[in-house]
Amino acid sequence: MRRFLTTKGIIGLTLLTIIALIAILGPLILSPDAATAMDMTARRSPPSWKHPLGTDQLGRDLLFRVILGARTSLEIAVSAVLMSIVLGLPLGLISGYFGGRTDNILMRLVDTLLAFPALLLALTISAVLGPNVQNTIIAIGIAFTPFLARIIRGEALRVAQMPYVEAARASGTTDVMIMVRHVLPNILPAVIVQGTISLAFAILAEAGLSFLGLGTQPPAASWGLMIQASRDQLDIAPWTALVPGLAVALTVLALNMVGDVLRDILDPRSK
Amino acid sequence: MTYILNRLLSVILTLFLITIVTFGVTNILPGDVAMMIMGTQSNPEALEGLRQSLGLNDPLIVQYGRWIGGMLTGDWGTSLIFKQPIAELLLQKAAASAVIVVMSMTIALALAVPLGVWAAVHRDKWQDTTSSTTALLGVSLPDFFWGIVMILVFARWLGWFPSSGFVDPAEDFLGTLRHAFLPSLALGLGLMAHLTRMTRSTMTGILNQEFIRVARAKGLSERTVIWRYALANAIGPVITIAGLQIGYLFGSIIVMEFLFSYTGMGWLTYQALLNRDLPLIQATVFVVAAVVMLTNLAVDLLYVAIDPRIRLG
Repeated sequence: MRRFLTTKGIIGLTLLTIIALIAILGPLILSPDAATAMDMTARRSPPSWKHPLGTDQLGRDLLFRVILGARTSLEIAVSAVLMSIVLGLPLGLISGYFGGRTDNILMRLVDTLLAFPALLLALTISAVLGPNVQNTIIAIGIAFTPFLARIIRGEALRVAQMPYVEAARASGTTDVMIMVRHVLPNILPAVIVQGTISLAFAILAEAGLSFLGLGTQPPAASWGLMIQASRDQLDIAPWTALVPGLAVALTVLALNMVGDVLRDILDPRSK
Repeated sequence: MTYILNRLLSVILTLFLITIVTFGVTNILPGDVAMMIMGTQSNPEALEGLRQSLGLNDPLIVQYGRWIGGMLTGDWGTSLIFKQPIAELLLQKAAASAVIVVMSMTIALALAVPLGVWAAVHRDKWQDTTSSTTALLGVSLPDFFWGIVMILVFARWLGWFPSSGFVDPAEDFLGTLRHAFLPSLALGLGLMAHLTRMTRSTMTGILNQEFIRVARAKGLSERTVIWRYALANAIGPVITIAGLQIGYLFGSIIVMEFLFSYTGMGWLTYQALLNRDLPLIQATVFVVAAVVMLTNLAVDLLYVAIDPRIRLG
């Protein structure tokens, strides 16, 4: 715990806590239509007392939209990363633990998926399934699975050669039991680190997908969607792009900081 | 030699698997080519007739065989939205994107290597903190956000570069470069962040090694030690990472070309996906995956060529 208390760790964790609190509490405090209520007398108004972060082309308050957008963006990112862990963990674990032919076949599959740029894969899946929140989660989740599987496989391969695993095998423990009781706990740190870093990428991916119109759909508020809407009014209302852009940047920055510190603590080899 | 041969064999196998994934994913799409040609409101009998003549009623494996056969013989079909042969279209757009890829990679390396070396040499001092913070900010900002900032600053306010469009290099090469510059800079800044971190960590490891101490003890100037001795050893991993970033670049290029209305491969892929132009989706997705994989192969081989210590096999 003490090793987490570096400047980077403290700043990252504080930022992340604030953002998470906003995403969770925001929608409970604000009324659901706060983000869609239009004030036609104040369209594209710059930040003011009435609208601290300004308004967009429909006179919607950007502060409310960015708060409610936080929920959508984080929800998608967290669900997508959880999905990629659920898919990638067994794949990587089996591949790394058994090695040999199983490993060859599974990793060939993973390498094939890795040849598709993650964003392209996510875009294609989203276009195939039809863009909405649920399918955005599926698209990002599948696109991230090969990365998770690769890293977990590497860790499982290392742990599977440890003397304690050999001892367990010699004492007749079944493979499934060894994987669950001995290998899994020892690769968890790597999964946590990779999961945190993936969260940062998932936030970026959601923003990218929604920006291209193949992610979250209007009238929902998501950061990528807000940036997309700002595109045609950059010169007259630059804040409409900067507000959601900074929201994405701060969140990703916080996740990267926490991820970096976690890696230094949990994986001493990377120091 | 065996290493190269094995690597080539695995490349062919992966290419084959890529075709299966591409074909598979695009065939789950609801609706088919016939419906896209004739529209959803078309006469069911006419639709059925077109399906029959296009061979859409054949088993998937037959359709897959026909697709692969076409790809191998250069007949890539016709795009439904552009009404143009796909091979021709791809070649044209790939050339446009190649300008961006080369330009952004050059910008990224030109900034990242000095910054990474600077950080490693002054490890744990303010220079290191500055460099790491810059890199961290770089990875955290979505590259399309950089793109928007570029448009605001360099196109709208300063008016130095155009904010959208593409010019054919055959007509006006300088114009091509001017149009490609802002998207390349935005992509380059995103890439730079990863490469700076990589250069720093590799250089840090190398600067702690014996041969560097020996070089210093010999009285060589610090500049020679760092740039000739240390960097020569660090550049391999950095190039590898740069090569691996090609995949990331091809993902980001879709967003960037959309933002800058730059009509390259990314823009084409996006149009194909948005309009569900099946034959075009299949071709673009396959080409991108193949290029990414072949780049990784090239990087591996280059690595063997520039670093005599790893002549594997």
